Amino acid sequence: MMSNPKRLHPTAMIFKMLEMIKDSIIGLLPLAVLILRDGFFGYIFYIVIGIVALMITSSIIYWLRFTYEVTDDEIRIEQGLFIRKKRYISKNRIQSIDLTQSVIHRIFGLTKVQIETAGSDRDVDASLSSVQMVEGERIHDELKSTNGVENDEEELDNFDFHPDPKREVTTKRLVIAGSTSGSLGVLLGLFGFLFSQMESILPESFYDEMFAFFLSLAINVIVILVIVVVLVLYLLGILGTVIKYGKFTITRYENELFITRGLLEKKQMTIPLKRIQAVGITESIIRQPFGFCTVYVEIAGGEVQEGSGTKTLLFPILKKTEVKSFLDDILPEYAHIPENMNPAPKRALPYYLVRALFIPVIALIATFIFIPEWYIIPVIVFILGAILGYLNYRAVGYHLDEELNELTLSYRRIGKETVLLKHRRIQSITKSKHIIQRKQNLASIHVSLLNNFGGRHIFINELNLKDIHKITDWYSLR
Amino acid sequence: MRQPPKTMIAKDAIKAWQLRAAIMTILFIAVTIGAFILAYLEFISIWIAYAILAITIIDAILEIFIIPKLRWRRWRYEVFEQEIYIQRGIIVMKRTLVPMIRVQHVDTKQGPILKKYGLASLTISTAATTHEIPALLEEEAADLRDQISELARVDQDDV
Repeated sequence: MMSNPKRLHPTAMIFKMLEMIKDSIIGLLPLAVLILRDGFFGYIFYIVIGIVALMITSSIIYWLRFTYEVTDDEIRIEQGLFIRKKRYISKNRIQSIDLTQSVIHRIFGLTKVQIETAGSDRDVDASLSSVQMVEGERIHDELKSTNGVENDEEELDNFDFHPDPKREVTTKRLVIAGSTSGSLGVLLGLFGFLFSQMESILPESFYDEMFAFFLSLAINVIVILVIVVVLVLYLLGILGTVIKYGKFTITRYENELFITRGLLEKKQMTIPLKRIQAVGITESIIRQPFGFCTVYVEIAGGEVQEGSGTKTLLFPILKKTEVKSFLDDILPEYAHIPENMNPAPKRALPYYLVRALFIPVIALIATFIFIPEWYIIPVIVFILGAILGYLNYRAVGYHLDEELNELTLSYRRIGKETVLLKHRRIQSITKSKHIIQRKQNLASIHVSLLNNFGGRHIFINELNLKDIHKITDWYSLR
Repeated sequence: MRQPPKTMIAKDAIKAWQLRAAIMTILFIAVTIGAFILAYLEFISIWIAYAILAITIIDAILEIFIIPKLRWRRWRYEVFEQEIYIQRGIIVMKRTLVPMIRVQHVDTKQGPILKKYGLASLTISTAATTHEIPALLEEEAADLRDQISELARVDQDDV
């Protein structure tokens, strides 16, 4: 099983180019703006040509100098023109190998290979930006072969065994996920931005004509136009979700979770179980009334996913009532969702209201002083704040299972969060109280755990002091 | 009911904090003088200068005469075989539990102010958090660091 150093597929040059453009886009943006203005065009043109030439050359060099080699017990990657970087990753240090395909990859039958090690340092990991699909699978198989966690073959011929548990998302559910995702706001913002830039992009006469035409329309036509635009954006948002999470499949193997997703871009993700720090359930404010939620895990180390922060989705959308059976199948280690949580005491409510109403009250006072005729807006904000404060209070709770050594915490920022924690995954617990809280037998708690970006800190405010003591006593090893 | 941690930090911590606050106050005074000069040159209103002066005085009184003592009185810690227990905070009192097996590393640190009083601070880091014990006698800090790093040398089953 010997192989010589190999180069990536030539398309790696394209990906290198794209990556460089992506990295420098913020720096290049002012240039683009300058080009759109007249006058500077002559100089800028040469600069752009220069930059493009530089990018092309360095992509070619990158490709020429990048080699990888899979040997019996490690993968060797060498790269760099003047500074040669050699990275040897031994097989048993590799935690996961994922094959990810973007649209370009799929057209040419290629794949990206991402190799992750245990460290949370991203530089330790390796990635082959473009190889043939067959080659990618070969690398995957070879690197996995001595890894001890070979599951892929087991499932084929073990008739006696249960097949590995697997869950797939339905398109109908994805449409629901898309329509409750709240991406409309983002799209509206984007649309508004483009619209406001229209004046500088379009030729002046055309813009004036269009504007005049728009103004000449009857008001109800304008309203209909606006509704149509919003509707189209909304549908685009749904489509985006369907494409991003299309064919979302999660499979449980013995020691890891395996996720594939994406209609256009195919992404693979392997989550070794021992990296899971906590399981969380998010019920966003739009989804909660319909009884839907998402399930995610906090993992230590690895790649930070775009868009979703540090959380790694286990499933894009589920009914709250299905979470239990989902976890039973996929992650039975965490499938103990308590029926009812111990709530915060009544006397904690004022704190929640004060916290939620602090800013609205200031806004209210300021409005009354300066622009009293607009009082209605801060009044609405005040009422919403009060409702949110009350909901926050209602959402807070904990549940302690001393037998399983599990702590469950729930709270609400805007959406409701429920987090399932294991004793050995909690990094530290801090209890805090101030003088007034002490008199009322209340205290707050701050639980820290590890994730792939610094750490997650959960603050649960104003619980009964004796509840807090129960938690700290459970956590304490004395 | 859990008892508060037993060990107090070095008494000289008060002096160190007062010295630090005094140095900060000198900076504040410089800013105040600057503000009065600006006010004299009519760049800013004289009231802004007065406000800055008031803040400087209040801050100096609080930071030099009141807060260090309170802070020292509240600051406690205790190192057990299996965990570290820390209490701090003047208005909001905080008590933190850090299990020994979660400790990744311990550092001692000594800046010029702490050195003057023969003190050092101790920082305990887990994978997700850091906790500082601000002022210990030098040898005490060194001993504690070695003790914690010894105790933390348990097999870490994960992470």
